[in-house]
Parts: sequence; structure tokens; C-alpha cells
Amino acid sequence: MTELAIRQPPKVLVPVKVLAGGSIPDALVRFLAPAEVVVLGYHVLPEQTPTEQADEQYGEQAREAVADIAAAFEGEGRAVETRVAFTHDRDETIERVAAETDATATLVPNPTGELDSILVPFRGAVDVSRTADLVAALFSEREGSVTLLGFEGTTDAVDTAHTTLLERGLDPERVHTEMAEGESSVREIAEYAADFDVVVMGEGGPSLLASVIGDDAERVAAESFGPVLVVRNRD
Amino acid sequence: MVSETETDGGAPDSAPVETVESGEATVTEEGTELERSIGLVGGLAIGVGTMIGAGIFVFPGIAAGRAGPAAAGSFAIGALIALLVALPASELATAMPKSGGGYYFISRSLGSLPGAVVGISIWLGLVFATAFYLVGFGNYAAEMLQQVGISTGGVIVPLALVFGVFLTALNLLGTENAAALQNYVVGLLLTILVLFLGYGGLDAVGVFGSTQTPEAFMPFGPMPMFTTAALVFTSYLGFAQVATVAGDIKKPSRNLPLAMVGSVLIVGVLYVATIFVATSAMGSEALRMAGETAIVDVADKFLGTAGVVAILLAGLLATVSSANASILSTSRAVYAVSKDRVLPAWTGRMNLKYGTPHVALAMAGGPTLALVALGETEVLAEVASFLHLVMYGLICVALLQLRREDPDWYDPDFRVPLSPLVPFLGAIASFGLILFMQRESQIIGVAVMLAAAGWYKYYAGDVRLKGDL
Repeated sequence: MTELAIRQPPKVLVPVKVLAGGSIPDALVRFLAPAEVVVLGYHVLPEQTPTEQADEQYGEQAREAVADIAAAFEGEGRAVETRVAFTHDRDETIERVAAETDATATLVPNPTGELDSILVPFRGAVDVSRTADLVAALFSEREGSVTLLGFEGTTDAVDTAHTTLLERGLDPERVHTEMAEGESSVREIAEYAADFDVVVMGEGGPSLLASVIGDDAERVAAESFGPVLVVRNRD
Repeated sequence: MVSETETDGGAPDSAPVETVESGEATVTEEGTELERSIGLVGGLAIGVGTMIGAGIFVFPGIAAGRAGPAAAGSFAIGALIALLVALPASELATAMPKSGGGYYFISRSLGSLPGAVVGISIWLGLVFATAFYLVGFGNYAAEMLQQVGISTGGVIVPLALVFGVFLTALNLLGTENAAALQNYVVGLLLTILVLFLGYGGLDAVGVFGSTQTPEAFMPFGPMPMFTTAALVFTSYLGFAQVATVAGDIKKPSRNLPLAMVGSVLIVGVLYVATIFVATSAMGSEALRMAGETAIVDVADKFLGTAGVVAILLAGLLATVSSANASILSTSRAVYAVSKDRVLPAWTGRMNLKYGTPHVALAMAGGPTLALVALGETEVLAEVASFLHLVMYGLICVALLQLRREDPDWYDPDFRVPLSPLVPFLGAIASFGLILFMQRESQIIGVAVMLAAAGWYKYYAGDVRLKGDL
């Protein structure tokens, strides 16, 4: 059996827009139960507002809201770390906290019902073993199915992931593979994702497009209306 | 880096956390993280963006009219004084990388009364500066309208007022990506200016063969060079604004000194070059006649209509960027003072809907509009400079004081070279420059300071800030 490519248990960073009434659906809390969770309550300020000023006035409120969300995760029996941040740049803060806590994956939260089907698209150069190990860690103890989605050029990745998932003890009947025609695109993934409850995908490299219209995972989350778990690259 | 684990039921590492700096974020005593999101380029853009509006696009005509070609010397004197202050300010900012800038340094090292006087004066000083930039904008907007054939009798002040309202409203509603925009605006401005000055400079030394009329360097003697330096010092008010956002600057120990000193050097070189080119091209009398938008006439002489359009556009951008940066600094200045309860706490309130400090912004925009209505460029500029120079002088005094007392908490990453000479000269020069101002500006400046001191005695006499970090 190959060595685990992720820490055990995996650690998932859950960013919540905490002062805008952001919360995490119960189904998502249960889904993440096998993982350690870092709840990051953040609030984005326009540039003219000092972060200090917002903290002075709303820090208390933010810390309480984060503690409430953390309590929900603790109800599932895992250690929860909480962070509260005021920032002018959301992505920078999430990236910093993810690196500091050495998170395996970052959640892009979205409202959701029960999470019984996972879509795992493989595109470009993603870390297949990390993605597969995270899926296995989150999914081996629960019901439902995993669908590995390949695109032109990622057939090998799908095969590797398939093998890994079976090695990690997933029932072969619960693991499906599918090949999409053509090259991968965010739109394509989002279209597939609409039929699934949650997407687990690798983080794309930084690209010019991503800096203009938001990164791929966020676009998938926005277009498919479901939560997305982004597996961080190994440092 | 500290990880807060307050909710996991008493894990061994959940000891109380003190304020921690990582260069990327500040972690407060309660465990909240305050992200630092402005890098070196952003810091330079704040400094340059605040300053460049005035020195190039408003002052050349007025300054050359007063001092002749020696106006270049006036700008050089201003740059020197600004540098003498920027170095001590950098040291203090690396020791206290908190938002609030000069007010914070002075109140913590010299005590509450000087702190309160500076804090309140700098709020009003920035209001004067903003009004001055807006009048400058009005001049460019009027000139632009004239270029496209709309007659413009007496529209300068109304245009400035309308735009002042617009900028204040924009800031109240929150601006997305304003900092990134500011970086591009400053980049574009620098490009236009370097091209323009490059061409003009080559022309001035005779490369393109046009004949210049030699003019005496100091047609009115040396004295106007100093009084003009006092007037145009408003062109150097931006570097300390970098310190007002010190809490947002990444790696403050490196980036703060670089941004402050760097922005003074950049604009200082550009100002001196601009005056040299402008006086060589047109002579100071013609510049004086052209007034606030003299640089447009210079562009016309060199490059015709294309040059005029480019410079008008640059002038609009530069004055807007200066005005906007000043409004933001004003609101930060008000916040810094209200946080210490020298002003009522409600002045520092922000609203969650737009995420903006609406009271402080109103306290920036409101008085500014009243001053714009006066339309007196020179008085606005000098009073702004007066109030800033008092702060600058006291920043130098604060440094001397801290170096002498050497309290435990004082541990700057950057140290001023040649101390105590540099801060000593900085203090003398800052206070000295005030003596060269017009009587009217001096009276208004002193009145503002006395009012600030009176307010402190009446409202905040029991506030103690020295050493309270």
C-alpha cells in the first residue's frame, strides 16, 4: 500500500464571511467530520477603512460568530481551530492562513443538502495522490458515490486515483470513472458539477485569467451552486 | 506564527496571546488577525500619488512667477527638508508600525498635549490640502472644457465642489480595488511625465536647436526662493501619509522607510526637472501669466495639441489622485485621534453595510468643501504646509526625545544615519520654513493650533498617551 500523500487526519480550512451572516450548512459539517477543521471568520473591508478600526467595533461580534460555527464542528468530535481576520484582500488572507495552518484543502462554501455524490475532476497538472487521499479520508466512512472525471490528457490521473481509492478501502461499486470529451474547462466542470453534491478539485496554478475573474474553484462553485473543496498543492 | 485554539477546551497551547507581528498580519491581544495588504509598490504609490498632483500641475506657474528660475531651488529646498523629516519618520514608523502616523509618534513620545494639537491640526491640515488639490482639479477641468470649446467663466470652484462631493460619496460607499487603480494611475502619470520632461529637458539644453532666451536664475534675489519654498512645500505632504497606513504595510520595517524616502526622492527629482524645463521653455513671466495650469502651455509649446491633451489628462488624474488620497488620510487621522478619545468615540464609527468610516469621511469631506468655496490656492496650500510642518518638526523632536530616553519598547528596525544631526536639522528646517510664509497663513495656522490645544484642555485633558503603545 502506498504511503498517504496527505496528513492524517486531513485538515480543511473553512473560510466564512462572518459578519455577513455566513454560516456552514449542517450537511457540510457532517461531511467534514473526518477532518480537522480550521474555521476562518473573515471580513473584507474597503481600502479606506483601517482593519484596526473594524476590529475595535466588530471584533467581538466576529469572534462570537466564529465560535458558534466552531461549536457545530466540535459537535462532530474533532478538534477545531478558530481564526478571525479583518482584511482588505480576502484571497491573500485565506492563502496565508492555509499556509500557516498547513491545510490540506480549502472549502469554498455554498448552501447544500446531504452530500452523497462527489465529483472529482482531473485537469492539467494536479496532485493526484493528494486529491485521492483526501477523498478517501472524507468518504470511506459514509454512504454515497465518487465520480472521477477525466479530460483529454488526464486519463492516467483518473486511473491512478481509481487505484488509490480502492487501495484505501472504498467499495469498487461506489467509485465511477467518466471521461469528458475535449479539454477541460471551468464551464465543462461546472456543468457536470450541477449533477453532484460536492466537487473536490486541485488548485489550478496562478493564471492571468484567474486574477481577473476569480480562480477556477470559485467559478465552479458559483456556476454549479454547490460547495467545492480545493486541494492545496504541496509546498 | 501563533495559532489561536480558544475553542478546543483548554489545549496546552491555548495560553494568552499578545500582539504579534509577522510582517503579513498583526495578531491582536484578542486573537484577531489584521491583514497587511499594501506592498512596497502600493506604499510608493500612496506617497507619490498624494504628492505629485501639486508640484507639477499646480505650482510651476505660481512658483516661477514668484522666484523665477530659482523656483527649481525652492523645490530642491522642499525636497531636502522632506528628506530630513522622512528619515526620522521612517525610524519612528518602524518602531511603531501603527496606523495614525505622525500623531501616533508624537503622542506616544512627547505626550498627550502635543499629540492632541498635532492630531487635530493634521486633520485640518489635510482638509486644507484636499481643498487645495480640488481647486487644482477645478483648474484642469475648466481648462479641459475650454479645449473642447466650452466657454468657462468662473466654473473652477463649482467644478471643484462637484468633484469634492463625488469623491467623498465614492469613499463613503466603499471603493473596490481603489489601491490597484491608484497604482496604475501613478504609473501612467510617471510615464507621461518622464516622456514629457525627457523631451523638454533635451530641448532645454539645446538638442533640438531652438534658441532659448537666457534668464537670470534669481531675478528677484534669493529671498523669494525661500518664501516660494514655503509655499510649494505642500507638494511634499504625501510621504507622511504612508505612515498613516503603516498598519496596512507588509514587512513594515523594510517597506515603510523605502516608501517614504523613495517617494520623496522620486517627486523631488520630477519637480526640479519640471521647473527647469518649464522656465527654460517659456520664461517665468509667461508661466506666471498662465497660473495654475502653466504646465499645459509648456506642453503646447513642445508638442502641440497632443501634448496639451496628454498633460491635461495627467493633470486631472494627478489632482484627483492627490485629493482622494488626502481624503482617505484625513479619515485615518480622525480615527487615530478618536481611538485615543481625544475626539469623541463616535467620530471613529464605521458602518457595516458599506464597511466605511462614515463619520470620519464626512469630517474630511465637509470642511473641505467649505474651504474649496474660498478658492484661494495659495492660502490653502500654505496653511496645509504650516500644519504639516509643525507635525514634521515635532516628529524630529520626538525622535531626539526617544533616542535620549531610550524606553524599553523603543526598538526600531531602521535607524536614522547621522543622528542627532539629521533630526536636529529636520526640526530646525521644518520650523524655520514656517517663518517664510505669508502672514495670513501663519495667523490661520496658529489659530488652528490654539483651537486644538483649547479643545484638548476642554475635552480630553485627562487623556494620557505617553508611552501607551
